[in-house]
Amino acid sequence: MCYVFGEMLSSAHLKPRLSAIGYRLFTVALVLLGAPVVPAGDQPTVTVQRPWMRAVPDVMDSTAVYMVLVNTGSLPAELVGASTAIADSVAPMITTKEGEGLKQMLGMKSVDALKIPAHGTLVLEPNGNHLMVMGLKEHPKEGTQVDLTIKLEPGDHEIHLKVPVQKKPVP
Amino acid sequence: MNVVSPKTTPVPDAPPKRPFFDWRVWTVAIVLLVAVGLSILFGVKQHAQQGFFGMRLFPLKAAYDFKLNGPNGAEVRLDQFQGKAVLFLFGFTHCANICPTSLTNLTDVYQALTPEERKQVQVVFISVDPNRDTPQTLEQYVTSFDPSFLGLTGRKPAIDQTVLAYGGSYEMVTGPTNQPNDYSVNHSAYTYLVNPSGKLELLYGNEKLSDVRQMIADIRAVLREPRS
Repeated sequence: MCYVFGEMLSSAHLKPRLSAIGYRLFTVALVLLGAPVVPAGDQPTVTVQRPWMRAVPDVMDSTAVYMVLVNTGSLPAELVGASTAIADSVAPMITTKEGEGLKQMLGMKSVDALKIPAHGTLVLEPNGNHLMVMGLKEHPKEGTQVDLTIKLEPGDHEIHLKVPVQKKPVP
Repeated sequence: MNVVSPKTTPVPDAPPKRPFFDWRVWTVAIVLLVAVGLSILFGVKQHAQQGFFGMRLFPLKAAYDFKLNGPNGAEVRLDQFQGKAVLFLFGFTHCANICPTSLTNLTDVYQALTPEERKQVQVVFISVDPNRDTPQTLEQYVTSFDPSFLGLTGRKPAIDQTVLAYGGSYEMVTGPTNQPNDYSVNHSAYTYLVNPSGKLELLYGNEKLSDVRQMIADIRAVLREPRS
């Protein structure tokens, strides 16, 4: 049997197809290396799209950051935290729903990690998952930018972002 | 000989005479009338209810006349806004996601109305966290969205009674540090629309508020309703 499979794999008509796949993978690797992404290997390949921080009134001591994280790699990744100089701490949060109908309560809960599936996306958006920025030391105004570092696993990887401060998402 | 008798001459084109009381005609007419009548009665009613974007309450009942505290702690009652459409929601200012999102959407809705319409609409944010939200904090908070917005809170019994009267609920959730002021509040996130006659008319889940076009269509319809 083994002999038969070996014979099939090495049969002439399969060779061109295998080399075509290899060539395509090589091209993908080249493209990925050229893009501003986390290097491949044992680390996830994640890019960040449309990040923004909510501009909040001075009386608020917290705000939220939203973005879309795209994982182009074949390994799942996790958003495990973030930090910024303008606040005490930043934590990944999920929105919770409890109860039914009018009695339904919405809340938020801190989580250790938010998953970014392989070849998938993690959407942080108003009313949903978000990064909560707690203990604001300053209140950045609409139109400014804030430095924010997000932490990803596996690989203890960091991505440094310039996050625009806005009152709402850009349509 | 050919004798033509007028009596036997047929008149082929003359229509057959129908009796005035033809039961078939009358049956059809009556059935049609009843059908049209019923569809007007129920169809219009149905349309009025389905025509709203928000969840419409039926029959409409007087909205609970809450008595809470506004800027500087002055008492504010819902009934003070008779003649205006009131959009109100529960929340707290330490809320970083749901509350600012709802208020930002309501700001877009409010500011999309004409100046004339705006005079007939009041947006109210009721804090269920009087421990941390003072009238001053609340005023600064809500007016940062729109200067006309009103922030209310009160003593816990008054807040609880209001939340209960509108079928909502809320609960404090202790934060990770266990410090007395480290807590979050899970709360109902509906926006309630009280019509100018003081009746609770429409409900909106927080996700609906971002549809500015449909929201202002509802508000305009409510403002046009005959007052009772």
